[in-house]
Amino acid sequence: MKLGIIKEVFKNVFTKPMTVLFPFEKIEIPERNRGEHSFDIDTCISCGACARICPNLAIEMIDAPQELKKKYPKTYPQIDIGKCCFCALCQDVCPKGSIKLTTNVFLATFDKDDTVRSPMSWNK
Amino acid sequence: MTKIKEHNVNSDFAMNFGPAHPGSGNFAIKVEMRGERVLKATADPGYLHRGFEKMMEYREPMQNAVMSDRVCVLEPLQWNLVHAEAVDYLMGYEIPDRAKHIRVILAELSRIQSHFIWYAVLSLGTGFMTGFNVAIGYRDYILDVLNLITGGRVYPAGYICPGGVRKDFPEKAENKILELLPKIDYMRKFMLKENPAWLARFKDVGILTKREAIKFGATGPVLRGSGVASDVRRDDPYEIYDELEFEIPVMDEGDAYARFNVGMQEIEESMKIITQAIDRIPKGEVKTPNLKPTVKFQQAKGEIYIRNELSRGEGAFYMVATGQKTPYRVKIRGPSFTHMIPIVEHLLTDVDYADVPAIYWSLYQCPADVDR
Repeated sequence: MKLGIIKEVFKNVFTKPMTVLFPFEKIEIPERNRGEHSFDIDTCISCGACARICPNLAIEMIDAPQELKKKYPKTYPQIDIGKCCFCALCQDVCPKGSIKLTTNVFLATFDKDDTVRSPMSWNK
Repeated sequence: MTKIKEHNVNSDFAMNFGPAHPGSGNFAIKVEMRGERVLKATADPGYLHRGFEKMMEYREPMQNAVMSDRVCVLEPLQWNLVHAEAVDYLMGYEIPDRAKHIRVILAELSRIQSHFIWYAVLSLGTGFMTGFNVAIGYRDYILDVLNLITGGRVYPAGYICPGGVRKDFPEKAENKILELLPKIDYMRKFMLKENPAWLARFKDVGILTKREAIKFGATGPVLRGSGVASDVRRDDPYEIYDELEFEIPVMDEGDAYARFNVGMQEIEESMKIITQAIDRIPKGEVKTPNLKPTVKFQQAKGEIYIRNELSRGEGAFYMVATGQKTPYRVKIRGPSFTHMIPIVEHLLTDVDYADVPAIYWSLYQCPADVDR
């Protein structure tokens, strides 16, 4: 049994560690990962399905600001990332594919108001 | 010769093991001590109560599928599966064959990673930090694959949903799972190595006899470690388990080591199940065509009690549908409940305090699923 331990030690000396040196090295995040949302206001038909399915009520349908009201006359989803549980049900129910969850998982902020994403802010 | 006084009241005291103890995990046990000896233990559940049963009465089945992850953080895919089966029954959904295979593969992967955590917490409780680090490290390989398939490392967010699964396997997912198996096997052998320190801590500790295990309602590895060959996958098969070949590991000793050993042997059986399911997985749809994309729960009427073999034992959902958008009543049966209240109180009577973490973690509990 002791010899087995020595063999194990030598084997581990020459193997790579399990961890990587973040942030210099990164583990690739799969495409399907449920991270921050992306929203395309131009394809949104304002059906409100995302707001209805959201289990945490993190999505609220709001009007566009006054100056953009002509271009965007309906209501659009405003997402509070602080309430979101990243279940991607909004992505599943969206009939036009306007909401998608991306691989961005670095969402920590210093100000809690920064967690609210207005429909205009996603556009580009 | 020095004798210990029969009633040495000066050394009697009571204290809490948990809920903020590093080795207790969100669950409290009040222990009455005489010196280093535990005279009596009383479980104090409720620290992690989130009221899932009531919350599920106010949400639609798809939203509940997401919430069912949280019933037990350590085996979310299996809880997804029990919930999905209950809704499937009430809605009369025919699940496509491919979805059934995917469900079983993921449930077994979830079982394996949960067993790794079991080994990790047993090591943590008894001061064997190497075991903890290695087990958590190897569990990470499984989590990477779960992330690839479900989009989340720990929480699949209702990936196994009513009507099938939310998305098909991504490209090369089967290969990734097969590449994972040698790593799992390495870890399994590492965990089963006869370690003198490990044997000293777990052998002949916390003995639960066959009779007591049945009396207190033990299920899963705890029951099988006491010599009862009971497994829902064999006794009341669901999904494709009746078509697969696997064994039910049983040990007669009933001590902490036997319980743990049964769990570790189960990893091998889970690997067999995964290999067979991947070999047989057919092509085709992964969702029932009736799902659009939310469940029209108004069409459901009736009640169902459905049980599955989770990593910790028998988990079940009781659901009543009365033609509303949401379930009328949901009741969750968590396997840890019986392990953590009657059994832990029974086993922590007249034992050394040093044995408390060993007995406590050998019961393979999850405080989240006790409190729900």
